[in-house]
Amino acid sequence: MKQIARRDRLKIYGDLLSILYAENKEGKIVLTRIQVQMRVPFDRLKTYISELIDLGLIQDETSLKLTEKGKQYLAEYKKVLDFMKRMGITYK
Amino acid sequence: MYDEIRIVYEIISAILCFILVKFMIKPYAVTGESRYLGLPLGFGFLGATYAFSAFLYFQPYFFGRQSLYLQLVVRAFAFMFLTMTYYFSRKKAKDSRFLWNITITVLLVGLIITLLLLLSIPADVLPSYQLMSIFIRVFNLICIIYLCAHTLRSHIEAPDPETIWIPLAYILLGVSQYSLLIWIVDSSLFAFFAALAIRWASLAIFLFVSYRTFYCIEKRRSNEANCTERPIENLR
Repeated sequence: MKQIARRDRLKIYGDLLSILYAENKEGKIVLTRIQVQMRVPFDRLKTYISELIDLGLIQDETSLKLTEKGKQYLAEYKKVLDFMKRMGITYK
Repeated sequence: MYDEIRIVYEIISAILCFILVKFMIKPYAVTGESRYLGLPLGFGFLGATYAFSAFLYFQPYFFGRQSLYLQLVVRAFAFMFLTMTYYFSRKKAKDSRFLWNITITVLLVGLIITLLLLLSIPADVLPSYQLMSIFIRVFNLICIIYLCAHTLRSHIEAPDPETIWIPLAYILLGVSQYSLLIWIVDSSLFAFFAALAIRWASLAIFLFVSYRTFYCIEKRRSNEANCTERPIENLR
């Protein structure tokens, strides 16, 4: 059971970070818009955000800007997804 | 003379495989999904068998006749690891995790038992090397055909010029196995060296794709960043 949670979390963290990164570029962040893109309930989204803050991947709850560590993680995550796509492997 | 060329071919193949392991472990390292472990295991075992082959050409009687069977069997397991990884990658993680864990355990235990059996059984009792070699290479070829079909299917589903390289690499690996099969049946040296050269080409494509993904994108991004920074520098 613990393993399932871990995998789901990693994918969710990756998706959330890429959405936050894109939204930060556009300007003001609207949580409900992120919630729609993530397709998760609002309370769970808040939990994920606080977990990302605890992990040091996001600066704070108001700005939701990615830290350097967050940017590095996102870059690595995207590269690995790209690699898997090129290798013909799907990440479900 | 031929032995020296063979040794060089095998050593370079082994080095290419070991470099590939470094890239192949990344999907597992980032996602934490054990089903992607088949990639580094597959390429790792392949590299180990190539290194072992090189050693055997150098010291043919060091481990006895069983060593020939040993590398054949390990190579078959390497292809099985790769095939299983691709097979399970299409399944949903939630449903396939338990099945994958059983599969990888069975494969690893099977490999250890087979190796122990091969080392303990006297060489005279073992079946003919040529016959066994044909069977195992046909099996390898079937695994590679599956890998080609799987990667080609992924490419067709989401066409992208970047995703065509890996099916091509697997096709070359298949051609290399087929050439080895011809070499066993026909004893053609041309088929043997062609197989080794095609294998190089295949591994080089894998390396090219890995390098391009992990390093060229980074370079492109930093170049883009430099391009955007440059006008400001000029203004100053």
